[in-house]
Amino acid sequence: MATTTTANHAEKAEIFCRDEARVDWHSKALWLLRQKRDRAASSLPEWEELRELGSEYKLHTLSHLGEYLEQFEANCIKQGIQVHWAKDGAEHNRIVHEILAKHQVKKLVKSKSMLTEECHLNPYLEQHGIEVIDTDLGERIIQLNKQPPSHIVVPAIHLKKEEVGELFHEKIGTEKGASDPTYLTRAARQHLREHFLSADAAMTGVNMAIADQGAIVVCTNEGNADMGGNLPSLTLHSMGIDKMVPNMEAASVLLRTLARNAIGQPITTYSSFYHGPKPGGEMHVIIVDNGRTKALKDKLLAESLKCIRCGGCINTCPVYRRSGGYSYNYFIPGPIGIAVGAQEDNTNTTAWACTLCGSCTYVCPTKVPLDKIIAYQRRLKAEQGTLPYGKDRYMPIVGKVMGSATLFNCAMSVARFSLRNLPNAMLKPFSGAWGKYRELPKAPKTSFEAWYNKNRSE
Amino acid sequence: MSSKSAILAALDSVAIAKHEMPKVAIAPRLDDLVGQFDASLKAVGGSLVKDNAIEALQQQVAALVAEGNQVISQVAEVSGNRETPEDPHALRDINYAVIQGELAVAENGSVWVTEQGAGIRIAPFICENLYLVVKADTIVANMHEALKLINLQDTGYGVFISGPSKTADIEQALVIGAHGACTLTVYLV
Repeated sequence: MATTTTANHAEKAEIFCRDEARVDWHSKALWLLRQKRDRAASSLPEWEELRELGSEYKLHTLSHLGEYLEQFEANCIKQGIQVHWAKDGAEHNRIVHEILAKHQVKKLVKSKSMLTEECHLNPYLEQHGIEVIDTDLGERIIQLNKQPPSHIVVPAIHLKKEEVGELFHEKIGTEKGASDPTYLTRAARQHLREHFLSADAAMTGVNMAIADQGAIVVCTNEGNADMGGNLPSLTLHSMGIDKMVPNMEAASVLLRTLARNAIGQPITTYSSFYHGPKPGGEMHVIIVDNGRTKALKDKLLAESLKCIRCGGCINTCPVYRRSGGYSYNYFIPGPIGIAVGAQEDNTNTTAWACTLCGSCTYVCPTKVPLDKIIAYQRRLKAEQGTLPYGKDRYMPIVGKVMGSATLFNCAMSVARFSLRNLPNAMLKPFSGAWGKYRELPKAPKTSFEAWYNKNRSE
Repeated sequence: MSSKSAILAALDSVAIAKHEMPKVAIAPRLDDLVGQFDASLKAVGGSLVKDNAIEALQQQVAALVAEGNQVISQVAEVSGNRETPEDPHALRDINYAVIQGELAVAENGSVWVTEQGAGIRIAPFICENLYLVVKADTIVANMHEALKLINLQDTGYGVFISGPSKTADIEQALVIGAHGACTLTVYLV
């Protein structure tokens, strides 16, 4: 499912960075989420214990995943829930369409699901004549704007309120020039309520699937999953195999960290447990692999499946905040996007859209070792012979120089001499992309080693 | 091979070593559960009535009905002016819903509502304003305690509701009243 694209991460980031004021705003808006997250986390003395439990529950589940999936299915069937299995996105879409076609569904209301984004469900259903309405406000904004999400939790974070106002004026008839968020949100409430009331079926993603209950948990702040899920008699829920948790105790751990880490709320406004169809209705759960079992064959990549999609790593990432969600060549941006999507990026550059600062790993509520996985994705690219242009030539040389004390010392003394004596214009081209927005450093007279031997060797 | 068999076969060997099931051993914070709940509920945009709550609610609902509002009530002591329909779409014009919650959670201001308590699953979402009635002695400290008490086998649908519906999808500006109820009041009895 590789996306065909030619622009690499740096080129796409450069487009985003043209509007400096917007980049500053974007970075600050996301940092605000990080600060809210810090306040929420520090208000619980057991926060670190919860992260450890989250990680352990996920590792336990992933190492017994087959058993739990079967237990989950059996319990669902007992409750009258119909369960389907899809090995990839194409099969998932076919199953969804078959169910909808059987019920002659013309209009489907959907609440946020990154999995259906991953499977490209919307265009598939539209080709088959089904109207798909995304109902999360941010998702609806970008659907009307014909854009993919730029963030997994706040999908329209790249847009300013004036742009949303203009879009709503054109598409849903709000007043021209109106950009007040409350006004626009109320207008969207009215607009979407009509769709909720006239939909033939509803679809949601899944935050957790509880094996020993045969229940799924869906978390939203807006109530859109429940407005959809509780009106039409037909409801569908799509989940990756990684959404499984063994029991209610595991769910209680993740429900305590999910919203706190995402946006600093103690819990989402609604945490709904769907445990069977409504009276006279039908409930379907579609369990999707789409590459997850393959990731589980690799010790490090497997840990990316501990992720609960809170988006905390994206909010804290210094590269994401300044390059935007559309620079990653994958539908999930930021650290987790690189961890699970670097192999889909055919420009082979997003694995380098990271400073390896480790902030993502530090905030992750299930301790996904994101920085280690990203470094490992670079190694995989090297082993596959798909290093980005240039790196394949100079990296082996850098490796040789840095592997030999003599060569390294010699190179450093040439660098110090050049930086002190040669004109800037002559040296700048050698600094590559690094030097594009930076001044070259002032070089000291001697190496640190020489200084140390002279001053501290006693 | 069916997709189910293919997925399960692929899961026969995974690269993660077998991990034991962990156990939550976190001491609940038990001091002033009502005060904790009150503070959490305020922080998520809801409000609490705890003095003579049921009388206050009865008077409030009587006044709303007198003003011509559409009120549905699932709480025995409180009478609305609408019946629970079979078709959830029939509730599209409901202004107020009065619903019995089963328990409340101090750490996040949420109330657990089941389809039995709501009468019909859509009720707490489709109404403009939501009144939840919950017993003071059902407040628990945190989600671990709450999920220990909940028995999903008794219900096909249940939801923790923490405040009125909200969104911050436009420029991170918090707006109360997205798709669900625009206000939420909890009556503690």
